[in-house]
Amino acid sequence: MKLPLELPLPRALFAAALSAVLLMGPHPRTGAAENLKTESRMPFAHNIPLRDADGRIITPPKAFDEKGQPQEPRANPYSPAQTCGKCHEYAVISKGWHFNADRGNAKAGRPGEPWMFTDSTSHTQIPLSYRGWPGTFKPGEIGLSDNDFLNQFARHFPGGGPGQPDKKPDPADPVTRRMLVTGSLEIDCLLCHEASGRYNHEARFTAVNGQNYKWAAAIGAGLGNYGGFKNAGAIADSWKPGASVPTNVPPIKYDRARFDGENNVSLTVTRRPSPNNCYYCHTSESAPADGRWHGDRDVHLRAGLSCIDCHRNGVDHLVVRGYEGELKDRSVTPEMIAIRVKLILRDHPEMDKQTAAKLAKPLLEEEQAGDAALSCRGCHSGEPGAATVKAQAGGRLGSPRPLHKGLPPLHLEKLSCTACHSGPFPGTEPQIVHTSLAHKLGIPAPPRGENTAPVIVQPVFLRGADGRIAPHKMVWPSYWARQKEGKLAVLLPEEVAKTGKLPTPDEDDLTRDPYNSTPLTDAQIQAVLEALAADKSKGEPVFIAAGKMYHLQAGKISAEENDAAKPYAWALAHDVRPASQALGARGCADCHAADAPVYFSSIVARGPVAATNSVSKRTWELRGDDEKLASTFAWTFNFRLMLKIITFSSALIILGVLLNRALAGFDTIARKLQK
Amino acid sequence: MNGSTTASTTLAPTPSRPARIGILGRLAYAVMCLTGLVLAVTGVGTFLAGKAPMTHWVLMAHASAAPAFAMALAVVALSWSGSTRPGDAASQSGGLSRFWFWLVLLAGFVVLLSGVVPMTPVFGTHGQHALYLTHRYAAMVLTGALILHLVSLVLRPKSSR
Repeated sequence: MKLPLELPLPRALFAAALSAVLLMGPHPRTGAAENLKTESRMPFAHNIPLRDADGRIITPPKAFDEKGQPQEPRANPYSPAQTCGKCHEYAVISKGWHFNADRGNAKAGRPGEPWMFTDSTSHTQIPLSYRGWPGTFKPGEIGLSDNDFLNQFARHFPGGGPGQPDKKPDPADPVTRRMLVTGSLEIDCLLCHEASGRYNHEARFTAVNGQNYKWAAAIGAGLGNYGGFKNAGAIADSWKPGASVPTNVPPIKYDRARFDGENNVSLTVTRRPSPNNCYYCHTSESAPADGRWHGDRDVHLRAGLSCIDCHRNGVDHLVVRGYEGELKDRSVTPEMIAIRVKLILRDHPEMDKQTAAKLAKPLLEEEQAGDAALSCRGCHSGEPGAATVKAQAGGRLGSPRPLHKGLPPLHLEKLSCTACHSGPFPGTEPQIVHTSLAHKLGIPAPPRGENTAPVIVQPVFLRGADGRIAPHKMVWPSYWARQKEGKLAVLLPEEVAKTGKLPTPDEDDLTRDPYNSTPLTDAQIQAVLEALAADKSKGEPVFIAAGKMYHLQAGKISAEENDAAKPYAWALAHDVRPASQALGARGCADCHAADAPVYFSSIVARGPVAATNSVSKRTWELRGDDEKLASTFAWTFNFRLMLKIITFSSALIILGVLLNRALAGFDTIARKLQK
Repeated sequence: MNGSTTASTTLAPTPSRPARIGILGRLAYAVMCLTGLVLAVTGVGTFLAGKAPMTHWVLMAHASAAPAFAMALAVVALSWSGSTRPGDAASQSGGLSRFWFWLVLLAGFVVLLSGVVPMTPVFGTHGQHALYLTHRYAAMVLTGALILHLVSLVLRPKSSR
């Protein structure tokens, strides 16, 4: 191991202090993991005891008591933090990408898919993220507590973060005290790592829907059920301040067959989750309902790769997102430093802790530099400046080196790989796409339609932070708000509902369209705004939808484009299409024709209003490009063939003249030699 | 042997006085210089300004001037080559001028080919990059040779014009 022994003094002191704190202070929740590892590529047979939230081994009562009476196998819900955390570093994992959005230990990085706070009655759709991506709201900014967030999104939220606050629930705090009843939503390791395919997401959804957070992991894993259970959320609701914490919430009724004679349970887990596990939260379907069979899916999966072959992570679970330039957004967590310090001390017994702490971070950063090769370009072509030969060489996992015949190299600087290879082949208008997070895919429900909120479209070719054009998904916020002194305060659906002016669809409509996707008319919007305007002291009521802000002006409704109504977009990367299906495979006109989607597709803002009221822009406009330039450039491609013919012909003529002269020259030389 | 002798006879420089360059040849030369100027400003200029590769309007101007330059260069090649034969004592041009002329043709050929081949699906990224660099540096040689040829024409004695 090469140890960089020189560090600036302030960094060294910081690292030393940090590691001392981490090494000396036990983690408040789970304690340290047992230091037992198999370190084999063979998966470890997890025949292990389950533990409850207090770390006690779960031992269901025997089938019959001493009097011969039958006993139900009831016991406390199992705790993934205690069960899995016995050997795995739960505290470190809890800072991983899927759980750390509210922790602030990792940079937000490139804007990603937000959680969409959606309400069909008030036609609200708001992009949310704890990460603070521009264009999204943090839950607290619109008046949603962590608990509200969980109520909305625990269905696809794997736990940890807001589901497991650092602070212990306080009976005096009306928000956090609920967790004394509901329990915390710990990271459900089996949600991703269960390998038998028997994890029941629907059952987990039902559990978290009733705020049975503590029970959800056991229910989802099929370890048991809770017959006759009352929703923990309802118990927490009925718990009045001052009363003692309800303790009558029932335990899990375990499946006795899952326990062996020593109370061990065999769990089929894998270090390499299957794409199907990822798909529960990361399905992105642009051919909904009965059209799905036409889809080809991602070429990498077809080739036998798995999501995690590129989207890798170490024990810190800071999953590689895979975009170019991600390295600058990645960070080494203090927890990883602490683990590395232990390893350095193991291998270098002569070293003291402070020195080891100085060395750990640079070493981890150096290793992390190899992640640069896990982008499309890095894997297929290699990263010339990368630290390792493996990363420099490219062609990892058998990836073919792209030829890009006939493509001027400038395109590789101006476009991301995904621009030509990812998402559906672009048409004159972007397609509707449904995603797991936004449309609750993975949970049985009436078929989602084209207008089911939130309407998300793809691909929209925008420029990323790196200046390259890349395909994006796009959604337009829609919400009621009050505007005061230029600032908007979002009104939550309950508050808007109080006006009593929101249109309520009749039974027939709801049968036909269970998602209430009928657009609002101007008159309906006006009625709600007028009702909200009754109390003007809180600000002027407005409605944001489809790229515009609606407000009352002299008793009439008026709508204009507004920054608050601008769409939120995030880059898409899948499904990846093969080279023969890529944009440009048919020639330059794929992008440089007068109607090429990359420049000229019409992006109509989608929202709960009639399409005629929506803002519509061309792609070049959304990117801030020059229309004349784009259209003139496309026009010049009409002459491309002529340019080629003239240039080739001219070159041939010149070649003829040169050859003629050369032959004459040879002839002259030959004559002289003959003389 | 006979065939070879016949070919040699055809290709051998004629001792007679070379034909004067006609109007078309002179016009083509003028067009070549003018379009060459546009190409040099847009192409070499962009490179010297540190903004290579060309994009947007500059690229369009470059690509618009290119076919006219290519045609003019071809006409110049046909109409001037007879009067600028290397080693021909009866040639209207001086030795250095003849050298610049043939260098213009040679570099022009490379420039044209390296400009148009990337528009065909023949070469991949590395080949494209090599062609791009070839185009760039051959164009610089072409620019220099064309300027020097023009200078040599301007400076030659009036009697030989």
